[in-house]
Amino acid sequence: MLPGRQQVIGNVNSFNASTNYNNIVNISAGQDAERHQILRWLSPLEPQQRHEGVQNDRLDSVGNWVLETNEFRKWRDAEDGCVEPVLFFYGSPGVGKTYLR
Amino acid sequence: MNNSSLVIDRLCDQAAGKDVAVVGLYCDFLAQQEQSTTNMLGAILKQLASRGGIPEHIREAFRKSEKEFGGRRPRLPNMVEILKKTIASLQRIFVCIDALDELAPKRQRELLESLQEIVRVLPNVRILLTGRPHIDDEIVEFFREAVRIPISPTGDDIRSYLEMRLKHDTTPKAMDDELRADIMRVIPEKISEM
Repeated sequence: MLPGRQQVIGNVNSFNASTNYNNIVNISAGQDAERHQILRWLSPLEPQQRHEGVQNDRLDSVGNWVLETNEFRKWRDAEDGCVEPVLFFYGSPGVGKTYLR
Repeated sequence: MNNSSLVIDRLCDQAAGKDVAVVGLYCDFLAQQEQSTTNMLGAILKQLASRGGIPEHIREAFRKSEKEFGGRRPRLPNMVEILKKTIASLQRIFVCIDALDELAPKRQRELLESLQEIVRVLPNVRILLTGRPHIDDEIVEFFREAVRIPISPTGDDIRSYLEMRLKHDTTPKAMDDELRADIMRVIPEKISEM
C-alpha cells in the first residue's frame, strides 16, 4: 500500500460510498475535533446509513446482465472525454418486486 | 438482494487499488423536505471527506462560515464550487444517484443543472442515474447524449426474488411443495408475458 493511500472500505450492506485516493490529506480523527462538525455542515443527510425498509430499491433491481452490457462497460472503463459521462437506467419502481406483490 | 446495490459494489470492486471514488445518493419521496440540492451535493462531499479526510479548502470554507455567517451551510453555487474543487483532485469519481424521480420536481432540475455544470468542467466524472421512465425528458434536456438503458427483470432475477420471499414467508403453514412449485412456475411465466 502506498503511503497516505486510503483503502477501499468494504461495502456490502449499505448503498454507499467507498473512496480510495491519494490527493486529499488525511488527518487522524483523534486530533480533529472539527471533523464531525464539518461533516455535518456539509450535509445533514446520512447517505452512508441507507435506512432499512426503503421500498423502491431501484439500483438493487439492476441485474447482472446490465453490468455486462457494452454501454455500462464503456461508461465505466473509457478514457475521460471519450465517453458520454451520464448513464440512465430506467424502469418502473422495483421492477420485479412491486409487480409481484 | 435487498440491502446491497450490485452496481455500486461492482464499481467499488473495480476501484480497489486505484485512485477512484465511488459515491451513492438515494432519493426518497419520504425525505423530500431534507433532500435539497445543497444537501444532496453536500452529501457527495460528506462521503468523500468521511472516507478520505477533510480537504483543506473545505476546512477553510467551514471556518470562514463559522466566523462570518454563523456556521451557515454553503448556498448552492458555493456548494457546487466546493464540490468542483474537491473532485478536481481525484483521478475519477463515479456518482450513483438512485431513484431521481423521487426528488421534488424542482430539485430534480436543480440537481441535474448542478451536475451539468460539474461535468462541463470536469471530465473525470461519471454519473449513473436511475429512475422511472418519465424523467427521461428531463435528463435529456440537461444531458443530450445520455446513454439510456431500460431495466426489466430477467427470469433469474424473478426466481431469486421469489425464493427470497418464500424463505421469509410469514405463514409457512399454508405452504406446501406443490404450491411452492406452482408459484415458482406460474409467476415468472406471467411476468414474461407482460
